[in-house]
Order: sequence, then structure tokens, then C-alpha cells
Amino acid sequence: MDTDTQKPKLKAAVIGTGLISKEHLSFLSTSERADLVGVCDISQAAANYAVKRFGAETAYTDYHQMLEQAQPDVVHILTPPQIHKKMSMDCLSAGAHVICEKPITPTYDEFKELWDFAKKCDRHLIENQNYRFNQPILALQKLVEDGTLGTIGEVEVRMALDIRSGGRYADQNLPSPVHKLPGGVIHDFITHLCYLALLFIPTFDYVKAGWNNHGGGNLFKYDDLDALIFSGHQHTRIRFSAYTQPDCFSVTVRGSLGYAEVDLFQPYIRCVVPRAVGKQLSPLANQFANGWTFMNASFTNFRRKLLQKTPYEGLHSLLEQTYQALQEDKPLPISFEDMDKTSRLVNALIAEENHL
Amino acid sequence: MKLFITGASGFLGQYIVTEALRRGHQVKAVLRPQTDETKFSWFNHPNVEIVRIDLRQSSGLVESLQSVDAVIHLAASKSGDFYTQFAGTVISTENVLIAMQKAGISKLIAISTFSVYDYVKMRSHQILDEDSPIEADPLNRDEYAQTKLIQEQLYRDFERDGGQVAIIRPGMIYGRDYLWNACLGAEIGDSAWLRIGGNAIMPLTYVENCAEAIVIAADKEAAFGQTLNIIDDNLPAQNVYAQKLIETMDKVPKIYFINWFFMGLIANMAWLFNRVFLEGKARLPGILVPAKLQARFKPLRYSNQKAKKILNWQPTYSLDQAFERSSSTEYLLAVSVPKSS
Repeated sequence: MDTDTQKPKLKAAVIGTGLISKEHLSFLSTSERADLVGVCDISQAAANYAVKRFGAETAYTDYHQMLEQAQPDVVHILTPPQIHKKMSMDCLSAGAHVICEKPITPTYDEFKELWDFAKKCDRHLIENQNYRFNQPILALQKLVEDGTLGTIGEVEVRMALDIRSGGRYADQNLPSPVHKLPGGVIHDFITHLCYLALLFIPTFDYVKAGWNNHGGGNLFKYDDLDALIFSGHQHTRIRFSAYTQPDCFSVTVRGSLGYAEVDLFQPYIRCVVPRAVGKQLSPLANQFANGWTFMNASFTNFRRKLLQKTPYEGLHSLLEQTYQALQEDKPLPISFEDMDKTSRLVNALIAEENHL
Repeated sequence: MKLFITGASGFLGQYIVTEALRRGHQVKAVLRPQTDETKFSWFNHPNVEIVRIDLRQSSGLVESLQSVDAVIHLAASKSGDFYTQFAGTVISTENVLIAMQKAGISKLIAISTFSVYDYVKMRSHQILDEDSPIEADPLNRDEYAQTKLIQEQLYRDFERDGGQVAIIRPGMIYGRDYLWNACLGAEIGDSAWLRIGGNAIMPLTYVENCAEAIVIAADKEAAFGQTLNIIDDNLPAQNVYAQKLIETMDKVPKIYFINWFFMGLIANMAWLFNRVFLEGKARLPGILVPAKLQARFKPLRYSNQKAKKILNWQPTYSLDQAFERSSSTEYLLAVSVPKSS
């Protein structure tokens, strides 16, 4: 018998019912570790829909009322970043652990303040760093840990998203609140880029960053970022582009023995390393091996598309591990150090605006 | 009357504003902040006041509803993911209804759709009318149907709370630049069609006919408290409409036909496979999902008797006239300025 499921379920609540809420709510509605006691949104219709669709107990339009009446053990905060700190503090004060969407706060100082407050309340604070738990990233980590790639020297994290030609970020009628973040729209993605880079080169000495608005206009503050991060002899490149296509979210790790590359939107792993056939034949062996891997990825990704698997697969894994850790009072999958260094790196990149 | 018309810049909305002005009403036309107003013939008409609001947020809505007699609420999203359509259709409607309550406006002409009906529950060749069943399992339908069903529930709630509501469900609206119809099949690029079925009657309403019925409803006490289907008389079968459409085209597309019965069989098999082997998790193309397929192609009969009786309305233009007008160079949105102005 699974002893985990014998532990009392944690009462979970959600604030905010935008796009990402579907992922959190679908986890909570099926988890053996959580009871979804409330969903809150300023729109009654949106809260009602989420309650009905995901089997929550009650819909709220005032999160203070939800905290008081539902008394959740865990609150998921899925609102625009500018109000994360205030809402998180209110939830922590009410005795709830907080799982917060990225970026946890717009600035590093606010993160520190929030972290200290969580400590004071003796509650946990977790930023959603979901892509760390995607299978291709876990596979990449394994290659690094077992020494297949040798000593790591370079990392490149690249995201290309066509956000200028349509969709919620290009909406001029009701601009997304993320346009007002210090890094503009890119600030909404940069947390992901930074924590993935830091997985493989965990420290940094200094950064150089070029922030640009190639498309011009007043809506977008920036639509392009090219940043270099230096840590001793190790280099990291973080790249966000709204103009190169197709959309991708790739991570490449280069070491003294070889390199590996993954993509999270169309998952695959390409690994170029010394093979058992010797130096002369290794290039050929790598091409055969990677050809086979690509062919399998095409079938796997067709199946993923058919079954509506999204790049958010890691979020369910992160939430499962988080709820398990909370139930069993064990270390959380996202630590203070993980959030601290990510927030510091984001801050450093924004402070280095156009110093590249 | 002073009418507050949301979605005024849309295909149907432009014709409704025009029809309302022709009938001597004053109009507050709601446009989103970035919409270019000068492209509408009525933008500087003395009886039109342009209201700049994005209905996904409520700021300024109550104030703009002052002195309004009735609201014709058309605004909705037809594209994007579920959450985009939810914001554009459901949250917009919620904001309008809350603002109406605050402003003390009770009369609402609420534009719904034929998409809310439950086509799986209906037998082939059955008459679809206002009493036909509403979709019971929205998750089997597309995002548009899902959000319009939630929107209709908001209308019912508004009515329960004291609002006077006329729910108008137009059939498939067609007109100039919008002659292709999803009930025919699917367009494959610019030069080919996939035609599904051929003899099913199409629940069509020509845009000028539909606009006329909606504006009449705003001024007709008997319409409030009613749900009315708006479709034209003498509805054509798919083959007839397709032939008329082809006659308007310079180049005839290559057409691939699929028999309706055969297509239904394929969709049912795909549905069964999905249920049995994929736990129902696969997202298949719409024509392979029975509920979506039947909503577009199931052979049914349709009635507009209730709307004609309550509104004392007769569709002005026949199919032939509608195609002639749609294909002509006549400016269909012309509105004369009152002499007193």
C-alpha cells in the first residue's frame, strides 16, 4: 500500500484563472495529495468556470475571504508578477505555503523581502521553475552528472517566440501587464532561461546584456535579448528572439568531451560525444545515433501532439514533488538557493541593460 | 431609442449599426481602442457616438451606458485558445452585464449562436427550433461553442436578476466577403475544397436580414423574455449554395467530396478508438469528433416561425438577392444623414 496517500491531503487554493491555471488546476483536480478547496479570480464567471471544470469546492472573487473561509494549506498564485509579493505575504500571514508563478517578484530586493517574510511566518515559498523537471532537461543533467560531456565549459539557452505578430503580448487594445515589468515582455520568460542556465553553470561573476526593441513602437519595451554570462572560464549565452523562426526553446551544453542539445517545445536530445568506435569513426557513429534519436522523436512528438501533451509536463512533476515534500516535511524540489541565484541573475541582466 | 451596440466593428455589427441608423435610432457604437473608426461609413454620422472600450476590462463602462435604452451585445471572440475566447466572450459579457445593472439598464438583446445546440441528441432531418436541446457536454465541442454556452448562462442569470433579455441565435451568417461557409466543408489552401455531404439544408441568415431582425427585436416588447432563432426562408441545400458560391468565383476550386454517412462513420470510429485506446485524451481534427462534425453537417430542418411571428419580421432578401448584393459593387452600408442635421 502506498503510504504517501495515507497522509492527510493538503488543502489547496488557486488565485488567478488565466492560461497557466489550466496546468495547476488539472494537477490539483487529480492529485491524491491535494483537495482543491477554492479558486479565486476577480471575474466571478472565471472563478465559477474553474470550480465547475476542475471540481473545486468554492469560487471566490476576494482572496482574503478565501483565505479566511477555506483556510488552505497551500495557495498557488497565478496572477501578474507585480502583485505576487503582496498576495504572497497575505497568504503566508494566513498560514499557507505559497507556490508562485514566475517571476516570483519583479526585482531581487522584493524577492529577499518576501523570502525573509516567509521565514518569519515559518511557511514555504516556491517559485514555479517547471522546465527543470521536463524529461529532456533531466536527461541533459544526467549526461553532465555521469561525465559523458566532460567538464562543462559553455551553455546556451535560447528561446524564439513569435510574440510580435499576434497573441496576447501583441494585443494593443488591452496590453498585458507584463509589458510594465523592468524587462518588459522578456521578463516574463527570462526566469526560465536563467534557472536552466544556472542548472549547468551554477555561478556567475559578471554579465553583459544587450536589450533591444527591434520592432519599435510603444507597446514593447524590448523584444530581443542577447546576454553573456561569465563564470571563470565558463561562458553562458542567454538568447531571446521574437524574429528567428521556428519557435524553439533549446538548451545546449558543451563540455570538454562533447556536447548535447535539447528542445523543450519539440522534445529531442542530440548528443555528440566520443563513441566506442574510436575517434575516427565517432562522427559517423554520432550521426547514426542521432538520426535514430530524431526518427524516434518524430513519432513521440506526433503522439504528444495527438494526446495534447504540452511543454508544461514538468510542472506536474514539480507540483507532485512539492506536495510530497510538504506532506512529509522533506526538502522542497526548488530551494531558496535555486530561487535566490535565479532572481540575482535576472536582476544582473536587467541592470546591465544594453552594456553588451 | 438609444442603442449601445458592442462588437460594432465586426461583420454583423457594422450592418446592425447601419440598420439601427436607417430606422432612426441613436447609436453608441463600441469599438476597441485601436480600431480605426474612419473605415466605417457611419463613424461621423450625427446619430452615432463612438465609445472606445475594451470590454475585457470594466473601466468606463458604467459611465458610457448612461442614457442608453437598450444594449445589443454582439462582442465575442471567435479565434484563439480557450482562455483568449473566454476573455473576449465571457469576461466581456460579464463586464457588460454588471455595468448594465449598475447603470440601471435592463433591456438586453443578447446575440448567441446556433452553436449552443446539442446536435448529437437530435435525429437526422428533425426540426431544429428554439426548443431543441442545448449542448450538455461542452467539452466535446470547440472553444467557440464552449464560451458561447457560458455566455448564454450569464444572460439567463441576468434575466433571473431582473433584466429584460431577448436571446437571439443567428444561424450561419453570410454576406459580402463572407460567402464561404463552414457547413460546406473545409477550404484546403486557396484552390481546393473538401466538401462533406451535399444535401443537408444549411441554417443560413444573410447578414442584412439578420441585422434587420436584431434591430427590430430591440424595439419589440414581445421579444424580451424570448429566445429566437434567426434564419432565412427557403434555406438552400449544401450543393445549391456551393454552386452559387462557385458562380461568384473567377477560378473554380478543385473539390473533393466525402459522403456525409461515410464521414460520420469515420468520425465515430475515430471517437471510439480515442476512447478505448487513448482514454479520450487525443485532440483530433474537428471533422473526426462526432459532436463537432454533426454541429456542422448533420442534415436537419430548421424553423424561423417563432422569430417571424414575435418580431413580425420577414427576411427581406432571398438567397439569389443576397448573392447578387454580395457580389455587386453597391455600397451596402450607406446611411443617409437626417435632414434636420
